[in-house]
Amino acid sequence: MPANEWLLITVGAILVNNIVLSRILGICPFLGVSKKIKTALGMGGAVVFVMGIASFVTACLYHGLLSAKLNLTIGSFQIKNLDMSFTRILVFIVVIAALVQIVEILLQKFSPALYGALGIYLPLITTNCAVLGAAQLNADSGRSILASTVYGICSGIGFSLALLLFSSLRERLELSRIPKAFQGMSIALITAGILALAFMGFSGLVK
Amino acid sequence: MKNNMPIHPKHFEGGIHPADHKELSAAGLIRNIPLLDKYTLVIQQNIGAPPKLNVQKGDTVLKGQKIADAGGFVSVPLHAPTSGTIGEILEIPGANGAPVQAVEIISDGKDEWCEPMTPYPNWRDQNRELLLERVREAGIVGMGGAAFPTHAKLSPPPEKIIDTLVINGAECEPYLTADDRLMREYPEQVLTGAEICAKILRISHIVIGIEENKPDAINILRRKAKRNRNIQIIPLHVRYPQGGEKQLIYALTGRKVVAGGLPMDVGCVVQNVGTLKAIADAVTEGRPLIERIVTVTGTPVKDTGNFHLRLGTPVEKALEAAGGLQSPVGKLILGGPMMGFAQSSLKVSVSKNTSGILFLANDEVRQFEAGPCLSCGRCVDACPMRLLVSTLSKVCENERYDLAEENYVLSCLECGICTYVCPAGRPNVQHFRRAKAEINEKRRKNK
Amino acid sequence: MTNILIAAAVLALLGLVLGILIGYTAKRFAVEADPRIEEITELLPGANCGGCGYAGCADFAKEIVENDANISSCSACSEENFKKIAEILGKEAGNREKQVAVVYCSGDNHKAKRLARYNGLNDCRAAAALSGGGKTCRFGCIGLGSCARRCQFGAIEIRNGLAIVHPELCEGCGNCIDICPRKLIRLVPATSKIHVYCNSLEKGPVKRKACEAACIACKKCVRAVPDSFNAQGFLVRVTEDSNLTEETIREIACPTGALDTVAHHTAANSGKEGAA
Repeated sequence: MPANEWLLITVGAILVNNIVLSRILGICPFLGVSKKIKTALGMGGAVVFVMGIASFVTACLYHGLLSAKLNLTIGSFQIKNLDMSFTRILVFIVVIAALVQIVEILLQKFSPALYGALGIYLPLITTNCAVLGAAQLNADSGRSILASTVYGICSGIGFSLALLLFSSLRERLELSRIPKAFQGMSIALITAGILALAFMGFSGLVK
Repeated sequence: MKNNMPIHPKHFEGGIHPADHKELSAAGLIRNIPLLDKYTLVIQQNIGAPPKLNVQKGDTVLKGQKIADAGGFVSVPLHAPTSGTIGEILEIPGANGAPVQAVEIISDGKDEWCEPMTPYPNWRDQNRELLLERVREAGIVGMGGAAFPTHAKLSPPPEKIIDTLVINGAECEPYLTADDRLMREYPEQVLTGAEICAKILRISHIVIGIEENKPDAINILRRKAKRNRNIQIIPLHVRYPQGGEKQLIYALTGRKVVAGGLPMDVGCVVQNVGTLKAIADAVTEGRPLIERIVTVTGTPVKDTGNFHLRLGTPVEKALEAAGGLQSPVGKLILGGPMMGFAQSSLKVSVSKNTSGILFLANDEVRQFEAGPCLSCGRCVDACPMRLLVSTLSKVCENERYDLAEENYVLSCLECGICTYVCPAGRPNVQHFRRAKAEINEKRRKNK
Repeated sequence: MTNILIAAAVLALLGLVLGILIGYTAKRFAVEADPRIEEITELLPGANCGGCGYAGCADFAKEIVENDANISSCSACSEENFKKIAEILGKEAGNREKQVAVVYCSGDNHKAKRLARYNGLNDCRAAAALSGGGKTCRFGCIGLGSCARRCQFGAIEIRNGLAIVHPELCEGCGNCIDICPRKLIRLVPATSKIHVYCNSLEKGPVKRKACEAACIACKKCVRAVPDSFNAQGFLVRVTEDSNLTEETIREIACPTGALDTVAHHTAANSGKEGAA
């Protein structure tokens, strides 16, 4: 793949097609854990980590098993060009959920400090559609395993960026006088909308 | 040395120049007021440990007699302002609002001096420990407003190398002219006091900073200072708070004191001109600190001017001396209008750091509800400590004192500029005072 | 058709493999945690008020299980849940008295004299540092509502420049106690329904001048029911073991109204708002 393709994947995943603000995936943790910059960074880190691994594993599965057009011989059965890519949603969600579980258990065992910081977010990531979304998008656009992993990591970075920006805004919101009707989630949603509008400006970045 | 001095900025960054109204009180000579029947002397007039009273009710005392001993190193003794008997020990309203302990001294009308301390007219021949001891025994504190015991300031730890004595004659507070009059009428004492301080500190370089709006004071001191070529008198831009310690050092020497640091970290010791006169009096004449020069001013006051007021003079008596009121008063402030404290009683008495008694008319007092911050940034432009005032103000409003500490609220010198310039009328300084109190309390608890 | 069957079989296999993998890691790398912590966290009120002295309810639960912290230090926990927690821990529930906060002042804007107009930060602690907010009495409630803002249960109302605790809402967490610069708030057993709402240590005449509702130590109440009152200097306090009734209070008829029942105190002042 030429170098500009990689650049395109990176910039596209982080800015232009930002997974939260442009594709509107993973809104739950985006709104849920964006009250403080510190927790937002923790969550961001966890998402980059999980998305990278999940993209890698799902891409491996997709290319190696689901869309590999396998020729199988089981006893007297012979199957040619087996295409199971229609099951990918099922496979991906199961794999991601299991993966996050395992990562959580391992973290708790080997790095209690990191677990203390990320632990509460990991179950959130299990149900994070951004992770599944990244895997699906990879499968859709037929990226190679390496490209998928890079895309996954960059999407995670894009998620972290959006979360970081949003949490800094919310920290400032906390210090502002907000009309009573807008306090809490409503002003947060308005802010998120404006932030998404701002990210639309990046769409001119890539032709 | 004079010629090697670099060209310094004569002012600091930030600051403002509010209408100073110095004309109200600058013209006349410093006046004396008749002896009062009764003085209420606040016992703790210095920062640090409170002095310990060594007299009881009914004791007779003479003028200048020590009536309280220093309560520690950072503390000074207290002396009787006149001869008479000790009355009740009572609580009176203090300058910053909280009630304080005060001792009554009922004058016997004779105003009789006690056995004076040995005067040292030839102080140049005395050793510095003796002079330092005299400064302490005379009860001298920083008379610019902080009331920090002067002897403590003049004994920096040996690891700090001091090379410059900075004299604060800026008097940047609007309305006040006490230091101006003092420099014009007692230039000899100011210079002597400065030389004594320099001797105590074992240095020779003395820089006196005076704002340009006091040309008489500058000229008189320049003329008198010809005798000592180590004394340098530098006119300063008229800008508040030019008299802030750190601002003054920057303007005169170009040195910046880091956040949380002290002037001695950059080799400077700062003294106010009023303090210098008190030091000169104590050393050359053996007179303890029992009176100071106070500006009594404001448009509602009939006969504004500067007065020699003894410590313990109630504000109402000072007002009487200034001819009383000619129009209704909206606010009474002890100190200058920017940094002074609003008072709710005329019973407060003059103490060692009272530089002015200011009466403001009703229409001169700004009173309205504080609005939300407009983020206009005027406070940020004007803050002499270069703090992010608008952020700090919002942070403090939400009681996020952890964030306030991160944003250096402890560096705030409470000069009042941010409140003065705020178009939304936000009580920024009060916010910061509260934040500082909370942070300090938390630190004490964690210790 | 076979494709679907095979896909199903592959999925099942995948599920099995992942299941075994998770099961293995969960066993192999298990971290011991006390399940009781979670149970107790569930039973605690979950307001995270910090009244117990720990950082939130979950932390408190952990301390209860691991370091044997005293459950009673949570005063917001209901009696029922309190017993359940004791059961989980296998301890005697014991008796725990509900406590409520009381603001010992009844000098609202009408009763307390003004010394000056306070124009500044709307916060008691800031006002206390600056001439005490304008009321003459330097012991009484400043009335700028620092305690009301601190209260998480909305139990403190600022009515007419006076903080009033509504005992039915108060959970007795004690967060308001420290914030009051005048130290006017104290926790008392919820059963004590009668208080002398004054905290001024000033001499009687001085108090009288400063506030209509001050306790001036006329001792009318002490003469009527000597056992139930305790006079210290110029301030009378209701003793802890008193069993005064509302009728007695009505009979005594405190001349300044400082001696009052909780019910009357919380209700009485509300009527006067309109009159002002």
